[in-house]
Amino acid sequence: MDFDKFNTLRKGLLEFLILGIVSSGRVYAADMMQRLSKTDFATQEGTLYPLLSKMRRDQLLDYEWQESETGPPRKYYKLTSSGRKQLTEFREYWESLTGLIDELGKPSCKK
Amino acid sequence: MQKVIQISLGGHALMFQLEEDAYSALQSYLERARTRLNRDPDRDEVLRDLEQSIGEKLVNLLHSGNRVINRREVDAVLEQVGTVDAGNAEAAAANARPERPRRLCRIQEGQWVAGVCQGLAAYSSISVEWVRTIFLAVSIPTGGLPILAYIVLMFVLPVARNHDEYVAMQSRAT
Repeated sequence: MDFDKFNTLRKGLLEFLILGIVSSGRVYAADMMQRLSKTDFATQEGTLYPLLSKMRRDQLLDYEWQESETGPPRKYYKLTSSGRKQLTEFREYWESLTGLIDELGKPSCKK
Repeated sequence: MQKVIQISLGGHALMFQLEEDAYSALQSYLERARTRLNRDPDRDEVLRDLEQSIGEKLVNLLHSGNRVINRREVDAVLEQVGTVDAGNAEAAAANARPERPRRLCRIQEGQWVAGVCQGLAAYSSISVEWVRTIFLAVSIPTGGLPILAYIVLMFVLPVARNHDEYVAMQSRAT
């Protein structure tokens, strides 16, 4: 399949998927990559870290430090209230989009 | 024979021992990352995160012992971490830039000769009187060099009828 065409789309969606992952609780960056690894959105630290810091600047996420047994303390991320709000908005928007996409192909739309 | 270099990484207590070429591979990765993140306000923090993550992967590689790490192993770890993609930060910086470079045109409305000064004025947001004054002031000591430039521009530049058309041309060009 021609996945290249969808690259830009995927890139733009990643941020919202991360909101979704982080909404499940306190998450460490490696957990996010693990969660995405089996999907089309498999991502690496080189992409994820700059994105996470940008999302934190946008006040969608925040993190706290937590001690780790194997190394230095880790950052555990959680959603802020505006992050949660944005995730809800995104889900609604996405639903309306898929509705629209389905609708557009149907013959009933023809004039 | 290989020199072994001892380094610390992003807060890991363990001192990693790297063969010299493994060290330089890691160093150049981090330097490239630094350059790519140049516009990122959290550059240092992201770099520290990356270092920490590289350290974590090296710890996993070593299991419990602490042996010397070679180039191949470092390359594999860096491959996993992936190239730093500052796409978002760079896009934000590009959006923050107030204006894109605009195109120079001749503007016929209000022209004295062919509207080149009008065009320069619109391009640079300097008033056309100033452009003409500077034009004439430079022409006298240089023996008319700007006049030559004027003639060249007269033929090279696209034409806009008036200022509105000039603005419309800009938005089409970008």
